[in-house]
Amino acid sequence: MTDAVRAALQRLTRVKGVRGAMVVDAEAGVPVASELETGVQETALAALAGSLFRRTQDASTASGFGRVRSLQLESAGGHLFVAGAGALLVVALADPAAQLGLVRMEAGRAAGELNA
Amino acid sequence: MRKEDLNRVAAALRDPMRSFVRESRVRTALLVNRSGQVLAHHGFGRGFDVTNVAALAAASHASAHALAELTGAGQWMHLHHAGKEHQLFLAPFRTRGEQLVLVAIFDKESTLGLVQLFFDRLTEAVAEIPELGSDLPDSDVAGFESDLEAGIERLLSEDDTR
Repeated sequence: MTDAVRAALQRLTRVKGVRGAMVVDAEAGVPVASELETGVQETALAALAGSLFRRTQDASTASGFGRVRSLQLESAGGHLFVAGAGALLVVALADPAAQLGLVRMEAGRAAGELNA
Repeated sequence: MRKEDLNRVAAALRDPMRSFVRESRVRTALLVNRSGQVLAHHGFGRGFDVTNVAALAAASHASAHALAELTGAGQWMHLHHAGKEHQLFLAPFRTRGEQLVLVAIFDKESTLGLVQLFFDRLTEAVAEIPELGSDLPDSDVAGFESDLEAGIERLLSEDDTR
């Protein structure tokens, strides 16, 4: 894991309510690095989050909205954030009560830095 | 695999293969055994010769297996080749009866991660299939060629109805 990736993941997982985070290769849908709780299926999460981001990107393009910066999936057990700006995606898992604005901001910042 | 077992096995593999292709979004997927016999095929086969792909996949598996033994790497997990337009994924897995190789060809509609994820699910589903039990006899030398052709014939007849 490079220092930049490690630092991005640590900053993200320090946000209150964040359960884990990972960096995913956007084209291959495979994990690059992660800090996840035990029990989270890392490779499945990378593949499905990557696919979700790609599909959302297609929908956004078809709608004429252009490039997707981030997406947020809300479910009963928590929130999934995916942020991307190029070859790498940043995925964050957060509790329902997490500071969502902060999580989104940190995920977007990490994606921007890693893809710079 | 003997000609008389092939149709039974192919029918049992149809649903798991269909699910794999649909969920992983690959363009086409083949299941071949080490002899290059095609046990299942699903997806778009146009644009390339399926039987050649099967034969080359079996050969590639044999070469990779030998290379893995030579270098002490043991069993190889999968082979992935990323081309400009298409990507190829080859992965061997063991059933109760014999070792099979999945050959999947995909484009920008899928990713390596998705293919790997649903490959794992495919192997679990195939492991449950009783038709691929350990009591399946291998082809004998005399019947090998006709059994190999049976896989090709079945494939061509499926293409006609697809």
